[in-house]
Amino acid sequence: MRTLVSATLCLTLLSAPAFAADSIQVITDGNAAAGGATVEIAKMKFATPEVTVKAGEAVTWTNTEALPHNVHFKTGPGLTEEHEGPMLRSKQTYTVQFNEPGTYEYICTPHPFMKGKVVVE
Amino acid sequence: MTHAYRPGKASLRSGIALSAVLLALTAPTGALAQDTQTPTAQTQTPAETAPAPLAAGETHGTRAAAEAAAHLAAGGEDEPVVLQAPAPDARRVYVNDPAHFAAITQQYIVDGNTARVVGMVDAGFLPNPVVASDGSFFGHVSSVWSRIARGERTDYVEVFDPVTHEPTADIELPNTPRFLVGTYPWMSALTPNNKTLLFYQFSPTPAVGVVDLAGKRFDRMIEVPDCYHIFPSSDQTFYMHCRDGSLLKVTRGEGGEPQTQNTEVFHREDEYLINHPAYSPKNGRLVWPTYTGKIFQADLGGENATFREPIEAFTEEEKQAGWAPGGWQQVAYHRDSNRIFLLADQRPQWTHKTPSRFVLVIDAETGQRIARYDLGRNIDSIAVSQDAEPQLYALSTVERTLFIHDAATGEETSSVDQLGHGPQVITTADM
Ligand SMILES: [Cu+2]
Repeated sequence: MRTLVSATLCLTLLSAPAFAADSIQVITDGNAAAGGATVEIAKMKFATPEVTVKAGEAVTWTNTEALPHNVHFKTGPGLTEEHEGPMLRSKQTYTVQFNEPGTYEYICTPHPFMKGKVVVE
Repeated sequence: MTHAYRPGKASLRSGIALSAVLLALTAPTGALAQDTQTPTAQTQTPAETAPAPLAAGETHGTRAAAEAAAHLAAGGEDEPVVLQAPAPDARRVYVNDPAHFAAITQQYIVDGNTARVVGMVDAGFLPNPVVASDGSFFGHVSSVWSRIARGERTDYVEVFDPVTHEPTADIELPNTPRFLVGTYPWMSALTPNNKTLLFYQFSPTPAVGVVDLAGKRFDRMIEVPDCYHIFPSSDQTFYMHCRDGSLLKVTRGEGGEPQTQNTEVFHREDEYLINHPAYSPKNGRLVWPTYTGKIFQADLGGENATFREPIEAFTEEEKQAGWAPGGWQQVAYHRDSNRIFLLADQRPQWTHKTPSRFVLVIDAETGQRIARYDLGRNIDSIAVSQDAEPQLYALSTVERTLFIHDAATGEETSSVDQLGHGPQVITTADM
């Protein structure tokens, strides 16, 4: 029984890179919904540390400097598991779609002083 | 043989067999003659008088051998016991060996008076040692894993009796909050009353953990801004150094939200302060050199931090000739004499972690250089005892040896070798 449950979980993860009951969802195919927001990463900062989007919209982060950064969501309301995005090299992007209203706080893993939040209405 | 070790049940249970072996190996033979017929007599009380100084040409080993021979000739019996260390004084030196990031590490406890190892305790990965300001205990914040270096991680605080070296407290820290980093002494600290231990968390967010040593329990994490190191200035207040170049004052208060307040920015962004500042909790003096030997000083003991006029350890000519601080613990501060000791050498830029051969002695008040000692070897860390005739401790990571010098003259007086794999940190108590 336990094996079955695990297998189902793996399949779900493979078919759609989602986590925490799909309240946020990594977009890997470039098919993000219209609208949303973009956040540039530069000079050891998230240039727009707070962005507001509507439920169903996405946020795209772009690292503009040589130093690698990522987007690392901490657990909080609506997010039961933390999610650590891949390190972005210069010019690389990372898109997350937000399906549920709430405030999602995040950091950069190796630079925990880099902080930001996404407010989903 | 007199030095044979027979573990008592109590020591086996508490896991101090190793330290007991070492104690037995290093203790003066005369102290071993004691009745061990009853279980309670398995430990030894501290020697009431200090052993006589070694004669010329005499070593601890030759003296112990002579004493053992005399004991044998007199028909004496061997009665192995678990020894105790002498009561700690200002010259009790704790040498921590991070062992080049090994999963298991050791702390060597040295009596600076006799230059002898009087015990050791084990720890896990990159522990942060602390010593009570009155010498009444020492301890560390440590991390272990269920399968040596993998599996479930446990962070904990351990407190030891300074005479028996038995653990007196083992306090687990929830959610493995320790910052795993090359050992920076001020990443963990005791409050002046020795009742609270503070430790730093780097990830996922800067925070300071509060451990109630008196109540033997973890208290709470305090989220702080982007600041590093912990310098307690009172039982409820500590300072940190922030990315923006200011100090942060954190007042914990009883319950409720901690209050924080930033000082002015006291150094430029291109002035790099080292990871091993010296701090005297007794008078609140923070001594913080840069890579180039500019020394910032702040007094944290009052209501607010006050900054002193920075000192330049080197002249422009010396800087041109490559003089700069370098090593691990590069600076020490002697409170009574108000003197700064700075480890320095001629070096290319960006070699600030390589060892140095010289120690500068600087008047912390005037900034005047009092002396420059040529230690004659590569030294990584220095410290001073806080007594009236201080010892200058100079630790070589590569030689794995603690060299003990007269802080007034720089003369080397003794040394202790075989201190682990890569000893780096010296801790003393300002008793
Ligand atoms: Cu980053």
